[in-house]
Order: sequence, then C-alpha cells, then structure tokens
Amino acid sequence: MTDLSKIRNFSIIAHIDHGKSTLADRLLEECDAIDRREMENQILDSMELERERGITIKARAVQLTYHADDGETYALNLIDTPGHVDFNYEVSRSLAACEGAVLVVDASQGVEAQTLANTFLATDAGLEVLPVINKIDLPSARPEEVKAEIEDIICIPAEDAPEISAKNGINIHSVLEMVVRDVPAPKGDRDAPLQALIFDSQYDSYRGVIVYVRIKEGTVRPGMDIQMMATGAVYKVVEVGTMNPLGLTPRDALGAGEVGYITASIKNVADTRVGDTVTTVENPASEALPGYRQVQPMVYSGVYPADGAKYQDLREALEKLKLNDASMSYELESSIALGFGFRCGFLGLLHMEIIQERLEREYNLDLITTAPNVVYRVTKNTGEVLMVDNPLDYPDPMDIQLAEEPFVKASLIAPQEYVGNIMDLATARRGEFKDMVYLDAKRVELHYEIPLNEIIYDFFDALKSRTRGYGSLDYELIGYRPSRLVKLDILLNGDIVDALSFILFADNAYPRARKICEKLKENIPRAQFEIPVQAAIGGKIIARETIKALRKDVLAKCYGGDITRKKKLLEKQKEGKKRMRTFGTVAVPSEAFMAVLKLDED
Amino acid sequence: MALLQRKHKIPLGIYVHVPFCRSKCQYCDFYSLTGKKDCDFEGYLEAVCDHIREAGGQAPNHIVDTVYFGGGTPSFLGGEALAMILTVIRKSFDVSPTAEITFEANPDSVNDRLLRRLRSEGFNRVSLGIQCDNDEILKRLGRPHDYQQAVKAVERIRKKGFRNLSVDLMYGLPGQRLADWEQTLQNVLQLKPEHISCYGLKVEEGTPLYECQEFYNLADDDTQADMYLSAVQILRKHGYRQYEISNFCRKGQVSRHNLKYWNGGEYLGFGPDASSDFGGRRFAIVRDLPAYIEGIRTGGTVLRELQEVAPRERAGEYLMMRLRTVSGIDPAAYEKQHLLPFAPLEKALWKCKELGHAEKTYDGRWHLTPAGFLVSNSIISDLLLIQEQTKPFSNR
Repeated sequence: MTDLSKIRNFSIIAHIDHGKSTLADRLLEECDAIDRREMENQILDSMELERERGITIKARAVQLTYHADDGETYALNLIDTPGHVDFNYEVSRSLAACEGAVLVVDASQGVEAQTLANTFLATDAGLEVLPVINKIDLPSARPEEVKAEIEDIICIPAEDAPEISAKNGINIHSVLEMVVRDVPAPKGDRDAPLQALIFDSQYDSYRGVIVYVRIKEGTVRPGMDIQMMATGAVYKVVEVGTMNPLGLTPRDALGAGEVGYITASIKNVADTRVGDTVTTVENPASEALPGYRQVQPMVYSGVYPADGAKYQDLREALEKLKLNDASMSYELESSIALGFGFRCGFLGLLHMEIIQERLEREYNLDLITTAPNVVYRVTKNTGEVLMVDNPLDYPDPMDIQLAEEPFVKASLIAPQEYVGNIMDLATARRGEFKDMVYLDAKRVELHYEIPLNEIIYDFFDALKSRTRGYGSLDYELIGYRPSRLVKLDILLNGDIVDALSFILFADNAYPRARKICEKLKENIPRAQFEIPVQAAIGGKIIARETIKALRKDVLAKCYGGDITRKKKLLEKQKEGKKRMRTFGTVAVPSEAFMAVLKLDED
Repeated sequence: MALLQRKHKIPLGIYVHVPFCRSKCQYCDFYSLTGKKDCDFEGYLEAVCDHIREAGGQAPNHIVDTVYFGGGTPSFLGGEALAMILTVIRKSFDVSPTAEITFEANPDSVNDRLLRRLRSEGFNRVSLGIQCDNDEILKRLGRPHDYQQAVKAVERIRKKGFRNLSVDLMYGLPGQRLADWEQTLQNVLQLKPEHISCYGLKVEEGTPLYECQEFYNLADDDTQADMYLSAVQILRKHGYRQYEISNFCRKGQVSRHNLKYWNGGEYLGFGPDASSDFGGRRFAIVRDLPAYIEGIRTGGTVLRELQEVAPRERAGEYLMMRLRTVSGIDPAAYEKQHLLPFAPLEKALWKCKELGHAEKTYDGRWHLTPAGFLVSNSIISDLLLIQEQTKPFSNR
C-alpha cells in the first residue's frame, strides 16, 4: 500500500474542447506510463464512440507513477469524468473520489459555461480546484486576461496557474508538480471498518464485474467477504489492484486513500451501483458514504429491430450492453405495428442515442425507435395509481382522475446577451421562471421549473443554437405536478399505428399533430392507393394529410437488352420494401419514424 | 449431328443491333454512333457476319422464327448491307419460311431502293420511328425528319408491299399537352399501321436530354399517366388491342419477336450491345464497336456480361416480364415451371384487383389493367418480395 502522503487523487474538468482529454494523454506520457508508440490518442476515451464524439461517456481511472522534483515518488490517480448533463450523477461520484480537480481553461476562449458548472460541481464536492491555462501557444492566447477572469468569476486564485500547451507538450511538468504540491493528500484510517466508494464498474467476460473504487476508510484484501451497502449483495474478493494505462495491476491490498479495482466473481453490474459503498461482512461500517442515489431512467422509448426476424439478436445485444450499463433498463414490449421489441429506459436523450448507436454499430442491427417518453403518473377514478412509461398503457381519459407529469428544476447559464433568447425558449417549453442571478458582469444563471417532457427532446440543442454554443444546462427532478395530458394517436389509412402514439401536453397537441402528419406524408412513399394520414385524440381527428396514390411507376420499354438492368431496378425496389414495416395496408420506411422523432429540427 | 424435324425444333429469335444513326436523338440511350469517322460500316458488316456464321453451328436444334434488326437506325446502314446480313443468317441458321423479319427505319432513310431490296430479300415487317406529328417537337428532340417525311415513308413502305407496319410514338414530350397527344394519335391512325408502340418519354441518365431537362417543359407523372390511359382508350376504339404495356396491334399482328422477350423465349443477339438468352444463360456483347470488331477478328471475347440464370431468378423474371403482357400469368404454368406455390401471389393480386389494377380471366389467368400497368413496378416489386418468401414444392 502506498503511504497516504504519497497519494494524490484528482480529476480534470473543463469546458468542451478546452483540451481535457489531450492534457490527460500528456500527463500519461510525462509519467512514462505509456510509450508514445503505444499511444492511441486519448487513451482514456477508449470507446470508439467516445473518440468520435469527443466526449467521455464512462468514467475511467488510471494510476500514474510520478518522480517529483522533491525526490519523492507519488502515486497519482487520475479519474476521468463523463461530460454531459445526462451523466451528472456519475460525475458527482467520480469527483467524490478525488481531493482535487485540475481546471483546464482555454487561453483564448476564457471561462465558459461548463467551466463554471464543472467548477461548482467540484467545489460542492469539497475539491481543491487548480486552474491551468491551456493552448498558450495560440496567437490569440491572452493568459493574463483569462487568469483575471478566473479570479473574478470563479473566485479561485489563478496567478500561479501553469501556462501550458497540452497539444504540443509545453509545460506539462508544471501541472504534475502543481498536483503534488496543491492537491491535498487523502486522509483515512486503514484499520477502520472498510468504506469504499464505487465510482464505476465494468463487465469483463473472464473476471466478472470489475468494480472501480476509492477506499475512504479501512483496507480491502483478496479473500475478504464484502457487502454492497445499498444492494446488500455479498461477495468474496478475488483480486484487488490498481489501473495502469495498459491494464490492471494486482496488489496485495488497497487501503484508505487509494484508488483501485476489486473483482469478486460478480455476475451483474446492477449489484455494483455507482455511488454505493463497499464494506466488509466481518467488520461492517456503521453507515454508508453520503450521496448515493439509485439512478432511475428518465426517458423511455420502444426499440425494435427494423427486420422483425432480428428480435433475438436485439435481445442478446441488449443483454450484453446491460452488463456494462446498469443505468439502462429494458423489458419486453410488443406492438401491433412493430411486433416484438423492448421498452428501454435511459438517463436522457444522449444516453438513448449512445445506446442506439452502439446497438447499430457494435451489434450490426437496424433499429426502429419510437418517440421518447417520460414517466407519467396517472390516478384513476378507482384510486389506482399508474406510472405510465408507455403510451400504449395510457388509460382511457374517462377513467382518469388526475394526470401528472414530472418536473425538473433547470439551471441555465449563458452570457447575458442571450438571456432574451433563453427566456423565449424556456417559456415556449412551458418553463416557469424562478429567478436569475448574475454570476459576474457578463454571465447569468437562470432557474426555471420545466416539465421534463419539454427538456428531453431537443432542449439542449435548441439552447446551444440560441446561445451560439455558450449556454449550459443542468437539471434535477423535483417531482410530479398535475397537468393536462392527452394521448395522440396516428392513423394510417384508418388504422392506428400504435408505435407512433404518444402522450403530450394538451395545448401542444394541435401543432404537433399537424407537423407529424406533414412529416409522415413526406416520408411515406406513395402506394398503389391513396393513404390518409390522421392524428387523433380519443376518437377525434385533429389533423390530416393525404398521400396521393401512385400514378406512374412503370418501365415503358423492356426488350432483350433491358432485362438485366431493369431486373436490378425492380430488385432494388423490392429490397427497399423489405426494409419497410407494413401497418395494416401501409408500408412505412424506418426513416419515417426517424423523421417523427426529429420533429423540431426545422 | 442428327437434326430434329422442324416441327420438333425449338423456336429462336435473332436480334441484330445496327449501331449507326444519322444523328443522335436527345433522349436516346441506346448504343449508337454518328459521324463518318465512327461509322465503320465495313468493319461492322464483316464482324457481324462472321459472328453470325460462328454462332450458327451452336443451334442445330433451333428454328429461327423471328429476325429483328434494331438500332441505331438499321435503314441508315442501307439495303445491301441488311440484305447481306440476312443472307448470312439464312445460311447459318435454319430460318423458317414463315419467319417474321423486321427492320427498324427512320422516315429520313427510307427510300424505294432500300425497300425494294429488303422486300425481295424476305423482310416482311417495318418498324418506323415516327414519334410525334409536331415538327417543332421533332426538331427539339433532334429527330432528323419531319412529320411529312413520315407520312411519305408510310406510303412508300405500303407501295413496296410491306403489309405489316409498326410505328413508334412517344408521349410526355417537351411542350406536348394531352390534347396534342390525342391529336397525334388521330393523325397516325389515318396511316392505318398494323401495330403501334407508345412510349412514355423517360429521361435517362447520360443523355443530352438528362443534362438540360429543366429547360424543357416536360409532362409530370400525372399528365403522362393521363396520356397513357387516353391512348389505350383511343386505340381500343379504333380496333387496336393492347397486348403489352406499350404495344398495341390489329388482330393477330403482334410483334412475334418482342413477345419472345416477354414470354421467356430464346434469342441470340449480334452486333455491339446486343443481348442474348440462350441455353439457360444470359449474355451481352460489349458496347463498343471497335472492340467488337477486334474481338471477332482475333477470336477473343466480345461479351461484357455472362450469367447462368438460376431457377429462382427465372421465376422472378417470369413475373416481371409476363406481367407486362395482357395475356399475363398462368398460375398452373407458373407452378409447373418454377415449382413455387402461386397462392401467396394470388392473394396479393386479389388486392390489386380491388384497386382496379389487375384482373383474373375466366380461365384463371392474371393480368394487369392499364391502370395497373402504370404502377406495374410497384406491383411487381411487391410480388417479387412475396415470391422470395415462398418455399418451393418438394420434388415430386
């Protein structure tokens, strides 16, 4: 075990594109943790999708061995954090595993929305925040002004902040020295009852679940019986160790202050929830570490294979993904329109998109996803209370005594010139204005209470476009409030397509219904007959479009020389039809579903 | 090799592609050359004749009952050359004395000498490209003739004793309205052709028309559909039976050669870009005259495509080609030939019938109606999808 005084646990926080992952890579290099040859850029973001999107989806941790200028050798544990509002809880748990945070600020951009939001998260967690000025070698760099900004706006001393270029490896050494000097060494009693904070876990097909922990108190060794305090699950420890950039290094024990992993032949990541506390069966801690929350999916949607025959493949893919992602849920669902599929729960829309993309890419599936849906609370006349995450389960309006929808408290931060835009947006989304705080001369934080339903679709994108990318959003669930809700049904050629039904606020029904009908008209190819596209509430039609019958689709000439070519053309048409789903009499391509999901983009 | 008696022989069609034109029409995507430099008549003639001689030996059990000279503009090549090719065909294959022998012609290259020569050689059918009665439109399409020339050509053809005349017309042309088209039909009916083909203009990629289609006032799909249905009606009223999507004729005067394509008969093609379906294989010749000449001269390959057609594919072709015709598909024959059940297809056809797109005849055959022909791609691709999912009967 490393002496407490020789351990530093820290994470790196930054506004997007300010250079967080690049700095992490340089730190690894500087400590010779990995060879330049072995270096794949941004080794911490190891998921293909993460690298492509430039965001961190899962938390990662790595231990660096650093020979400091004071002649001592330190174990530096760098814990990377996810970077999206969908994963705020995970971020808070990762930060809780650290004593300090390196705040990366772009030397020309200065302090931005996420700089602020992330700094608050870190200071809330009691972390020492150490600013670093990055991209110092850009011609537009203005380090002195940016330092002043940091001191003015965030109120942390920045005078001595290292001026670096992560991209070109300038001054990286000074960052490591700062970490050793200014991040407090962890505290803890290695003889106390075990309290280990789970900040991530990952399924490995050979070892079972690998649990990433920060030992707060006590010591954990192989052979010990451990218990997860929230789930109550008990296991025998097989191995403990630390993470180095290229793999896991077993150790005899992990003691208070250390960051490492535990394996214990755990079959199910759901038993190792982020934020839970690991203790020993023999000498249990009297209480769990604070801050644990059971993560609940906020958004549900139906996920179906585009080709109905691929249902089993989808099931297997979901099972595998679930092994690594306890925050996702899924259960069997069947739709008259789409056949067998799954109702899946996600933390937010980004999470949903990520899961979808992984299913399509890593498991080579074509999917049809139904409109995302929050969980409504419906009290029936009989007094029965239903939690409705699926429009198909929405009761008849006659039977409903009270319908409620989840609300969130949203905090929106942006430069003050965008306040008008933000207010327009929030009001359009039924936001109730609470207050507005000037964070400094230029930046404003607004608080709104908004239905979650209004946030999940495209709110974040709309906010970004109305604030030229400077706006940031954070939200937390504050409970249910009564609302006027309706279920909107879509009919094609007179038949309800259940997979297109959804629940929404009554006043939004008309414009939305019109838009959906228009979109479907654009995306459903003409058939041999006329297709009415209708939107209805209860039995009442509130919008209608008509897809005219196909008039002409014929090969005028087809003689000897044309047969091969024209056959290919018809084959292609046939293959196109194969990818469509037939509802009653109408064939609908999966693009039509996508179009309905992306209603607000124009 | 023992020759079969003629009545037991397999019918065979021969197609000769003549890849030369006086000028290129704006809409045309057939393989055709213009200009003195490219038009190597002699090289072509030698190659095509050698090619035919070479192939002749491979069809001892076939009887040629149709010969078709298409193009390009066969009449542009001249009477002597066409006559010579036909002579080679007769020498190399067993050509039936009642064979239908057609050549395509344009009004501007039909003269008395050519007609006399070809008639005496045994040609008995002319397919004349008239396209339209409006000189303005003909000019815009790049046709090398006007309507008056077409009328004259018909007179000449008749005078020289051709009793089987087909004319090609087009609708959906630039600036053409429904009433114009109907008038064109009326005018052409005065010429009393035995056979009329009506083609909706299709803007093909790679044609001059494709490049500048936005400058033309082309009819939209709805207008083309109206023009089509109107043509079917007018022609029917004047005693022309529709027998294929774009083809109409007086009683008994079908194009026997073209029917081979739709009914799955065998045919051999000669000349660049000609296609064949023979001995269970489909093959096509290079779309390049110099390469063709060179290939024939040196005994190298002249094919650009060659494929064995699998039984499943044949079953698909059966639907695709037969549904172009008014005699349509025969469930019993379909099941017997392809060993696939017809019932799933019939279910879909009943739905087409409800929409007025298909009909079932008293003897159980299915065919499309004119409205059905108009959306036949959609219908056929539906049927192909269903067919793909049917399981073959086990071997009986």
